[in-house]
Amino acid sequence: MLAKYVARRFLASLVVVLGVTLITLVLMDRTRGTYVPGIDLNPALRPEDIARLRADLGLDRPFYIWYLTWIWGVVHGDFGRSMIDGSTVMSHILDRLPNTLELTGTAILIGIVIAIPVGVIGALRHGSKADHTLTVVSVAGFAVPQFWMGLILILIFSVTLEQHGLPWLPSSGAYSAVNGGDFIDRVEHLILPATVLSFFYMSTWSRFIRSSMLEVLSQDYIRTARAKGMSERRVVYLHGLRNALIPLVTLIGLELPGLVSGGLVVEVVFGWPGIGKLAFERALQYDYTTVMGVTFFATMLVIAGNLLADLLYGVLDPRIRYS
Amino acid sequence: MIGPSRVAELDMPGAAIEGASTRPAQSYWNESWERLRANRIGMAAGILILIFALIAILAPVFSAVLTHFQPQTIDLSQTFSPPGGKHLLGTDELGRDTLTRLIWGARVTLGVALLTVAVSLTVGTAVGMMAGYYGGWLDDLLMRLVDTVLAIPAIFLFILMSILFRPTPVSLALIIASVGWGQVARLVRGEVLSVKQRDFILATRSIGARHLRLMLRHLLPNVLPVLIVAASLGVGQIILIEAALDFLGLGIQPPTPSWGNQLTNAESYFFHSIWLVNFPGLLIFVTVLASNVFGNAIRDAFDPRLK
Amino acid sequence: MTQPLLEVQDLHTVFSTKEGWVKAVDGVSFELHPGETLGIVGESGCGKSVTALSIMRLQRPGLIKSGRVMFKGEDLTKATEAEMREVRGREIAMIFQDPMTSLNPVFRTGWQVAEPLRLHHGWNAKKSLTSAINMLGKVGIPSAVDRAEDYPHQFSGGMRQRVMIAMGLTTTPEVLIADEPTTALDVTIQAQILDLLRHVNQEFGTATILITHNLGVVAGMCKRIIVMYAGRIVEAGPTTDVFAHPKHPYTWALLRSIPRLDAERHEPLKPIDGLPPNLVDLPSGCAFHPRCAFKIEKCSRDVPALQRVGDTQLSACWVTQAGTELKGA
Repeated sequence: MLAKYVARRFLASLVVVLGVTLITLVLMDRTRGTYVPGIDLNPALRPEDIARLRADLGLDRPFYIWYLTWIWGVVHGDFGRSMIDGSTVMSHILDRLPNTLELTGTAILIGIVIAIPVGVIGALRHGSKADHTLTVVSVAGFAVPQFWMGLILILIFSVTLEQHGLPWLPSSGAYSAVNGGDFIDRVEHLILPATVLSFFYMSTWSRFIRSSMLEVLSQDYIRTARAKGMSERRVVYLHGLRNALIPLVTLIGLELPGLVSGGLVVEVVFGWPGIGKLAFERALQYDYTTVMGVTFFATMLVIAGNLLADLLYGVLDPRIRYS
Repeated sequence: MIGPSRVAELDMPGAAIEGASTRPAQSYWNESWERLRANRIGMAAGILILIFALIAILAPVFSAVLTHFQPQTIDLSQTFSPPGGKHLLGTDELGRDTLTRLIWGARVTLGVALLTVAVSLTVGTAVGMMAGYYGGWLDDLLMRLVDTVLAIPAIFLFILMSILFRPTPVSLALIIASVGWGQVARLVRGEVLSVKQRDFILATRSIGARHLRLMLRHLLPNVLPVLIVAASLGVGQIILIEAALDFLGLGIQPPTPSWGNQLTNAESYFFHSIWLVNFPGLLIFVTVLASNVFGNAIRDAFDPRLK
Repeated sequence: MTQPLLEVQDLHTVFSTKEGWVKAVDGVSFELHPGETLGIVGESGCGKSVTALSIMRLQRPGLIKSGRVMFKGEDLTKATEAEMREVRGREIAMIFQDPMTSLNPVFRTGWQVAEPLRLHHGWNAKKSLTSAINMLGKVGIPSAVDRAEDYPHQFSGGMRQRVMIAMGLTTTPEVLIADEPTTALDVTIQAQILDLLRHVNQEFGTATILITHNLGVVAGMCKRIIVMYAGRIVEAGPTTDVFAHPKHPYTWALLRSIPRLDAERHEPLKPIDGLPPNLVDLPSGCAFHPRCAFKIEKCSRDVPALQRVGDTQLSACWVTQAGTELKGA
């Protein structure tokens, strides 16, 4: 039953993947042309060098061959080579992936850990001052531009603190270039970007848990639980939360692709050497193969995230049966 | 309509339309309006947005009467003037007046947001209605297309496209709308499917109403409340996306002022010209906040069950 | 008579609404004796469920304004929350109307049935589950060992109500409050559940309060019944006497609204005229008087108290207290 469901979902995903590659195809067709970045500007290159470079990148072959070659490569985990430095796109992705996962993973984790109690408190005391305050905070978290919040945090915790000779937090990179890279150093670098990113997740999810919890707490089985004579804490956090978390799983599953793409703006602001920053920098340098490779990679994650969320939903909610 | 507003969509199962009339009864609109008016915070947010919109529209008047500067007038003798005096909110690295640039920036920022919403709604409604109304293979085809568009991480798609099509306000709006329509199409399709089941549509069909007429005269008024809610909740997110792209240098290009691109070099102003960081960011924040609050108020007004 | 096990004395429970305070329970008193089955009857909204929830102190957001609930010499309205937790599910168990929604959908049935044992006796998972399976078998769940592994949605409505009853009985409480236990079930299943409750009452000697709007249900189950209207008790007495000679016009009207095997054939069924009262804005005097066929002038002016009428019954009605028989039209 489950295997059948996964198989069917997989087939449906293939359609989407095909669609994605078609869109990529169109974009590639527009950009392929005669193009190799910087090739015309370099006087040292002779015409035969240029021809060789183009041949290396496959640009001399007909368009559909180019595309099929690219797809063939992608199927084998090969996203082609960068137009800038000639190394494989995959090596770039693998190089940046750990940093990105470190940042977004931390942010999502902090987001969940804070959002759950905040959402539950909002639901338990709905209408109270605490509830209103938390609502205002999360509405603000939803409206503040991440890049601006990042700038302000840098201004306060890096620039101003340093000016006053106080201990300050680094504002750029994932570790210090000199004598850096140990655990403390990495955590120090992580604090500011992770704060910005988790603030957003926290605002979104706490609202969601609040409304989900409000609904659950009005259910009959909560009254049954109380009638059994258990503490209110057990009623809320065991019988209530276990139900309220089910829809949250979907939401977090939808956020899985955010593991790669969600932190892009934050990565740029904080100079975090992650995948988002890679895509951004390479885009500015017209390195299409890299940008497309990263986009495709992230799209696969979206599809996987959705599937995972659905499966997890079934684990958490026994009423769901896959058919 | 993009990214984070998924949350809003999850708890928005379509607006309530009571009864089986061909279109929502007049009283439904009146009641919604009454509920909206009773929401004082929501109304305040709406009025604030209206004021910003007016400022944007009347930007030439404001810069002529209020600030006496042009947004792109460079005055190298006046670089980095602090707020106060002749330049109410100071000047930037080229001596351009910040307030003037913010006023003109409102034009770009709000204009792009408005155009994005308009395009997303039009395309999304058309696709969603066709898919929901005709069903069958057309529905399958269109919905797979929607799945595909929504499966690509939006921010990467924006980056990819903005290096292909050098962004002007119009092309930027089209780029953002290229993802936004998908969510709308899904929403409208769902609503059409449920409206289609009701008797009056079958009745109208049986007397031989033409398809297009049926869709425009009978289905559209019924999905309108959902569209209004989706639009008002989407504006804030679009402004955020647009500002982020501008900030990254992938959106509106200088010297045309937008709120986002005035922050592109913000880090270099930290030590001496903090107003250049504060004002544009604050303005984006307040605008998005107001449109989110107003959007929620509209949702509550049109669908009181969700309160 | 033996010492009552549970004694409710002049209970008042109120709810705050936009339109003002609503007296959901307005001066209710009754006693429950060991091993007895007591019926509480009335239309929905008459305060019977709130009375039961108030005994358990689960009436939130309602507020117990005054009155006492004496249980084994202690006043439950004054007990601390911790003391109440020891009473709930251990000494007084409660089962609810809708078995579809009253079980937690995400936990295994056996686990839920066993939970009171873990909570109150501190038993471990294995020991409590064994006992729960045993109890599931006793309430008539076939192959209980396997079914304990199932989730609530895998049970039918009747089976779920059996599960609820088993859950209430694991700790062998002294009082079982059943709030409309059969209302949500099919008629044939209703009879099975009532049989089970009767059987439980006999086997475990559990005193039972059976709350229902259905007079047919109490007829076969309860020796004594209480009839409630608009938050007050309007009639109380032995079931046979109340059925034979109702001493309150509301009871009288209720009895005429249901089909009876012993009814004289020419008597047609008659629904009660009018609507249940609005608790926010009760009629003056006796709350039933606008719908009453026997009302006299005094009824709209003064509230009648619950008084002995006849040998065995209590009634809150000016007409019957004056000695008039309820008959006719």
